[in-house]
Parts: sequence; C-alpha cells; structure tokens
Amino acid sequence: MFQSVDDVVARLAGERYICSRDLATVVYLACAMRKPILVEGPAGVGKTELGKVIARALKLDLIRLQCYEGLDEAKALYEWEYAKQLLYTQVLKDKIGEVLEGAKGLREAVERIAQEDDVFFSDRFLLPRPLLRALLAPEAIVLLIDEIDKSDTEFEAFLLEILSDFQVSVPELGTLKAKHVPLVVLTSNNSREMSDALKRRCLHLYIDFPDVAREMEIIRLKVPDADQKLAAEVVELLHRLRKLDLKKRPSISESLDWVKALTLLNVKTLDDGLVTETLSTIMKYEADVRKAQDELKEYLAVRKAKSGQPAAASDKDLLN
Amino acid sequence: MLYRILEFSDLLRRNGLRVSVPENMDAASALELVGVGDRGAFKSALRAALVKQASDAKTFDELFDLFFLGLGGKAREMDEELMRQLGMTPAEFQAMLDALEKFLENLDGEISALTRALLTGDMGEVERLLREAAEAARGENMGMRVLMFAQGIGDRIGIEGIRAEIENLKTLLGRGGAPPELIEKMAQYAEQRMRNLMQLVRDLARRETDQKDPARSERERPDYLSQKSFIYFTEDDIRKMNEVVVRLARRFKNRLSLRRKHARRGRLDVSATFRKNLQYGGVPFRIKLDRRKKEKPEVVVLCDISDSVLNASRFMLQFVYSVQDLYSKVRSFVFVSDIGEVTKLFEEHEIHQAVEKALRGDVIDVYSHSNFGRAFELFYRHHWTAITPKTTVLVIGDGRNNYNRANDWVLKEIRSKAKQLVWLNPESRMTWGYGDSEMPRYAQHCSVVEECRNILQLYRLIDRIAA
Repeated sequence: MFQSVDDVVARLAGERYICSRDLATVVYLACAMRKPILVEGPAGVGKTELGKVIARALKLDLIRLQCYEGLDEAKALYEWEYAKQLLYTQVLKDKIGEVLEGAKGLREAVERIAQEDDVFFSDRFLLPRPLLRALLAPEAIVLLIDEIDKSDTEFEAFLLEILSDFQVSVPELGTLKAKHVPLVVLTSNNSREMSDALKRRCLHLYIDFPDVAREMEIIRLKVPDADQKLAAEVVELLHRLRKLDLKKRPSISESLDWVKALTLLNVKTLDDGLVTETLSTIMKYEADVRKAQDELKEYLAVRKAKSGQPAAASDKDLLN
Repeated sequence: MLYRILEFSDLLRRNGLRVSVPENMDAASALELVGVGDRGAFKSALRAALVKQASDAKTFDELFDLFFLGLGGKAREMDEELMRQLGMTPAEFQAMLDALEKFLENLDGEISALTRALLTGDMGEVERLLREAAEAARGENMGMRVLMFAQGIGDRIGIEGIRAEIENLKTLLGRGGAPPELIEKMAQYAEQRMRNLMQLVRDLARRETDQKDPARSERERPDYLSQKSFIYFTEDDIRKMNEVVVRLARRFKNRLSLRRKHARRGRLDVSATFRKNLQYGGVPFRIKLDRRKKEKPEVVVLCDISDSVLNASRFMLQFVYSVQDLYSKVRSFVFVSDIGEVTKLFEEHEIHQAVEKALRGDVIDVYSHSNFGRAFELFYRHHWTAITPKTTVLVIGDGRNNYNRANDWVLKEIRSKAKQLVWLNPESRMTWGYGDSEMPRYAQHCSVVEECRNILQLYRLIDRIAA
C-alpha cells in the first residue's frame, strides 16, 4: 500500500501517470481508509487509466467491470451454470438411481434428492463474474468499475452492499464476504447523477483538464520524441479550444494523438494548412470543426503578430 | 479539530450542499491520515470526503478559503504588495523586519501586542487578536451590518491607539541613529502596515457577516433554477440550463428504454429448451435462454412556440434538441398555426443557434395566433407517417386555441395508433379549461397529461412517462 501522498505521486509517476497532489491525496486516503473512489470528469482525462495505474503501482491484479445499460447481477456478480448442472445430472443418472434405490413412493425419493441439494448448488456450478471474483480473490486486488453512470439505477443500488460491507448475498449459498478488501475505483462521465447513497460511500475525485504545465509534462512523458516547441503550441491551442462551447472538447488523449501525428509528419511548428488537415484528429463533430477553425485563425493571427514575422514553413515542405 | 470540521460542514449545508453524518466521519478520519500540516492535502481530503458533486466544488473552494484560510492568504498578498511598493527584494524586506524587531525589543513594554505583531509581520498573531476582537464585538450586537461590525472590531482593538503608537515609533526611529534611508523606508513600511490593518479589519468583518448569511449564495445553487417557473426564466438562465437539459434528456432516454431492460437475457426459456432438445430425446443438452428483441424508442415531439409560452418553449426546444441528439429516431415539429418540421435544422446547427432559428420563424410564421386545431390537422395531413405503433408522441403547449376549432380528433387518431401520447403544459393546472384553453378536451385523449412549469416537475414526469 502507499505510504504517503508523496509516495502516491512518485509511484504513479513511476507508472508513467502524472497526477496532481490533489488526486494523489484522494488515492492515498482511499487506500488507507479502505473506501471506494468515485472518479468523475470529462471524457479522456485518464479516469480509467487511473484505476489501471493504481493496480500496476501496487502490483495488484486488476478486475474490470465495464458497465452498460442493462447490465445485471447475472453478468456482474455470478451465474449458475445451467448447462453444466444439467449435464452432470445426465451423466450421473446411474448414481442418482442408486441414491433413489429402495425409496418408497415419490415423497421419499424427493426427500433423498433434497438431501443432496447442495451438490447442485455448490461453488462448482457457480460461474463467478467480475464482482464475485473480486470478492473471492485470494489476495487484495483493484476493482475497476468503469462508467458506472451507464448502468441502471437498479444496478447501482445493488452495488451498495458490496461497496460498503464488501460482501454479497447469494440466496443459495448465503453471504459471501471478501477475504481481502479490494480497492475499488468507480468512474463516471456524469451522464446521469449518481444516487446520494452511492456517493456517500465513496470518496469523490473530480479530474479536470490539466493545466498547461502538467499537460506538457504528460506529452513529454508519453511522446518523448515530440518537438518541445511544437508540443507547447499544441497545448496552448488546445487550451484555447477547450474554452469554446464544443460538443466534445478535445481531451488529453486527443492532444497526445495530435502530437503523435504531427511528430510522425515531422512537423516542427503549426501552420494554417497543416492544422486544418489534421484537425479531424482532435475534433469529432462537423460543427465543432467549423467552430475550431475560426478560433484557429485568430490564434495563428495573434501568433504571427507576436513573432512579427510570417509563421515559419514547416519541415514537411522541405521534405517534398 | 473535529469541532471545526462540524462547523464547516454546517456552513456547507447552509450553502446548499448535502453533507451527511458518515461523510463527516470520513472527513475526520481522512484528516487523521493526512494531518493538518499540508494545506493542499488538507483541502483535497476534505473535498473528497464532503463534496460529491463537481458543481459544488466551486462553492466548497470559496467557503474553504473563507473558513480555514482566514486572513492568511490576504496577508501574504499584502506582504508582496508591500515589497513591490518599497522596491525591496524578499531578502532586504526580511532584513528590515529583523531590524525592526530588534528595535521594538529595545523599546519593551511601551507598545501593544497588536502593533508589535503587525510591524514584525506576524500575521498569524494579528489574526488571532482580530478574531478575539471580532468575537467580542459580535457579542454586543447580533446581525449587524459590515461597516458597523468593522467599526466594532476597530474599537475593540483600539485602532486609534495603534495609530498613535505607530506615529510615535516613527519619531523614535529617527532618534535611533539608523541611516536616514532605512528610516525613511521603515516609516513608509509602518504607514502601509497601518493601512493593511484597516483593510484586514474590514475584510474580517465582511467575511464574518458573509458566513452568517445563509441566503448569500441562494442564486448560485443548482436547485434554485429547478424550481423556478419557465415563465420567469431569463435568457441567461436558459443558457445556464444547458447541462441540466442534457441530463434530463438522458434520463428520458433511460426511462424509455427501461422496458427492454426488464426483459433481459439470461433466464431459462423452458418451452424453447424442450423444443430444441426434442432431437436428443428430450434430454436438455442445449439450453435456450430468453432473448428479447431490442425495442428502440421512437419519439415525435410537437412543440408550441407561440408568444404565450415563449420562455417555456425556448427551454423545451433545448430539451427536444438534446433528446434528438441522443436518439436516432426522433422527429421534432414546431407549430403556432402552421406546423413545420425542425428535425433537420436541429441536426445541422448547434443548440442555441438551432433554437433561435426555430423561434425566429425560419420554419414557420411565428407571428400568427396560435391555432392548435389547424396545426394538428396539418400534422395529420402531411406528417401522419411519422406515427407508428412504437412512437411516443410528446406535445408541449398550453392548449390556448384562440377559440378556433379544437380538432381533437387528431389526438384521438394519434392515441389509437401511437404507443403513447404525452401532453406537457407549461401553464398551471388551475387555469386549464378557462378562457380559450382547450385542455380538458385534449386531455381526454392523452395517456399522460402533466403540468410542467419547472425542471423539477419535468424531472418527475420523465420518470412517469415510461415507467
């Protein structure tokens, strides 16, 4: 487990995840207090990544449950293997006949079968799904419940028992309690409001777009061969774009993609034509592209005025 | 410390945040872990434990500064300001403070604690003394105004006395035999400090009165808008509603598709299993599980955009826009007396532009008088194919027909063909049926009729429509 807030920062950085102290504090607290973390924030700021990175940093196994509309207990917790049960019944027909041998009347036969009841509803026929696997894991694990906001309210309510007591009731088997309390990370895109009951059980963490310095740091880490000046320009431009009223604002993953693409094209500085060509990497909607273009022109004009000379031609031209 | 936390969460509650007892306990145990030494960690810990909604974070930040930082942050700013004014580097500044302190020590006894703390830059002590004074001043007169309160604190600390002391010091400094340049600087410094003190007193008074005023941030609370009637919405309000609207639309979608979720895959379909396994002599080798067909909800929206419900329809159109954004099968119509389809318009433009275009009369004439009957009839004649047995039809309007023909037979037709017909009326239920309102006549054909005057009602309603 983590020793201190600084330890969290250092070990996450060791897994190539740059985080603020704010985030690190919450992670540290969650580990120490054995509380789930509910991570919210815009898409693409590294919410899911956080769960994975924590697992790697702590050298624990990760069990991931992706939520979606209609996800139910059978898929999240456990299922009885009907097929296997039926198959066993068929194969063991003779044995069952033995058990029933000499039984007088139907009543007694049922009675005898009932005594063997628990053979059919035992761990053998239980097909554990992510949640049950997390609870039954022989050692501590990280449980990542991704996009909890996509699930239904019924499922959310069902999660409450697991999140607060780390136990779950299977009617046929009784209550199963976690051997080790898992570290739970829930992520949400806030497409719907989570219930107060769920929120109360979690520590809340809001990850926003990073500031310029941190985003630069992230790019430096993830795309080490990117040109620093180019990265700085990209980040500055993206920060401007994020202020616009867009359908989908470009996030960190987009800026990484863009820098990667530009680096591949061997570009050293942004210019008008180039940006327009590659804008599709960061903008996902036609309306957004149009808006971004206006902002772009302004940005390039300002830059030109600032440098007092026409924007330098990119290396791409030299290559041709 | 625990007491401070409880006080703080009480302050949060008074500002509209929901903080429960277990959350307070979390906050306390979190603070045990991170300690109080690291201000950043302290704040993050409190926020993680107490604030569970991103939109509340701003309120939290403000209140946190107000409550815990006290005047510390302000005092640091003042130090920097002073350094700049005097044109000194931090090192020089510190040297001067040291010199001053030594000088004050030699004076011993002749100077008040507050003046000493003030001049040596010990802002923590200054704040403590000011708070004492504030506490005493409050005792005298509850619920007073900021200015009076500031005056009260000033009296308590004897601000006139301090002023005199500082004047006195300036002359004493002259006799100390220090280089005249330094003396000049010190005098300037003392002068500034005096001003700072006044500033701090006013600040403290304002903060204290702010904290005690529960209605302070009433307008910033998210649920403030949710209970406000659409009719009183300002344009600004409506723009702010963007996020709420999107969430509403999502909820609407969730609700409509709930039906298919209830019938989920995974149960053993006994009869199908038997049928399938007849070939194995009835031994169930192959299991057949239930699998229902997915039903994609279809929505047709008819929105009244006449003047009488302009504000409500502005909001409703935003809602409709968001609904359309989420579904593939939504057709949106607006009407006054004519009826026009805006599905395409909504697809092509961003939300505010689209809504404005629809309201401005790009699609239909918006300056005519409402005529529901005519609009319905036109809908029946030109757009009837939009209605299928899977369609949920949503009519938004006040049903004020200007005494024209009601043509409620169209609704009857819709009701018999569509899955359901929902009418949302932005008028109070009390007024339905009075004047030119045709609501009772229309209502009899609808599966759900609801008054929908604010977001809260819309919220509840969405639960009902498809549940």
